[in-house]
Amino acid sequence: MSLFDTLFRRRDGSANAAKTRLLKVLVDDRYKLTPEMMAQLKIDLAEVFARYLPSIDPDSIDVTVQRGESNDHLQADIPLRRPSNT
Amino acid sequence: MTRVITITSGKGGVGKTTTTANLGTALAAQGAKVAVVDADIGLRNLDVVMGLENRIVYDLVDVIEGRCRLRQALIKDKRFPDLCLLPAAQTRDKDAVSADDMVALTNQLRAEFDYVFVDSPAGIEAGFRNAIAGADEVLIVTTPEVSAVRDADRIIGLVEAFEKGHPRLVLNRIKPRMVSRGEMMSIEDVLQILAVELIGVVPDDETIITATNRGEVAVLDRVSRAGRSFSDIARRLAGEEVPFPALEEHPGLMERLFGMFGRRPRGSER
Repeated sequence: MSLFDTLFRRRDGSANAAKTRLLKVLVDDRYKLTPEMMAQLKIDLAEVFARYLPSIDPDSIDVTVQRGESNDHLQADIPLRRPSNT
Repeated sequence: MTRVITITSGKGGVGKTTTTANLGTALAAQGAKVAVVDADIGLRNLDVVMGLENRIVYDLVDVIEGRCRLRQALIKDKRFPDLCLLPAAQTRDKDAVSADDMVALTNQLRAEFDYVFVDSPAGIEAGFRNAIAGADEVLIVTTPEVSAVRDADRIIGLVEAFEKGHPRLVLNRIKPRMVSRGEMMSIEDVLQILAVELIGVVPDDETIITATNRGEVAVLDRVSRAGRSFSDIARRLAGEEVPFPALEEHPGLMERLFGMFGRRPRGSER
């Protein structure tokens, strides 16, 4: 793709919608992990992590399935609120 | 060593038969001995796509059920005597063929040919399983649409479950202008979703329809962009390192700007 295309490609185009929807539906297809189960998984994860790290914001946890050549990976991104030093 | 390569997709209508006809013809044009097998029992199509429909006497089921010898059923191509078609039967009996039959058939073809291409039916049922039964390698054809990519993902999982190795992907009917507007998934998008090796990208091209109307294959048409892409895929299959050219449908703004100065930007020769 040329620089021109990269600069002017619309981020809100339907291609992005297609990609986002596909990534979600394929997790369900391959692992029988429905969006509801995924939501529950995030809540449960937040609970476990909060036992050790109170500075976790349960709403900011992001769990995704990353696809690889031979294995897929469940990846959890758990941001921590930086403790204030004062 | 003969290679048996099955072309499959999950979803119908994404270009399996066109891909089979073009890759078979391209490799035959390079001097290889090639057999193309139509494994879509009941929905014979590879013959019309290759313009060989008037020559059929026997078919795949006749061979399997012993009504004729393999050689009698093989139809020689119009241009390349080393390119042969084994047509599908038009029978409605889906159980006429078993996976073991297909393994035996492809093994028989190995004795005579360098490449055996098997055109798989759509779906994930017995017809698909038969089509991959004798395969050494599998190519998945998809288009950049949600339904086709979703089905391709299912098929990739099944091909791996049947221990046919990692299939390679043919991304068909891409429309570069829609991709550049952000209204069609790009090559990168599809590869990120499917996580498979890409063997080629074929642009959406009217010459596929006009060539097929006449029973010809685009790969022999020097001005067909899709034909050139299939040629590139055939060379990659044969082990050649062929760079992936930049996709450009019509001269874009950049090219027109460069054109004013009498030169073209890098990578846009095609």
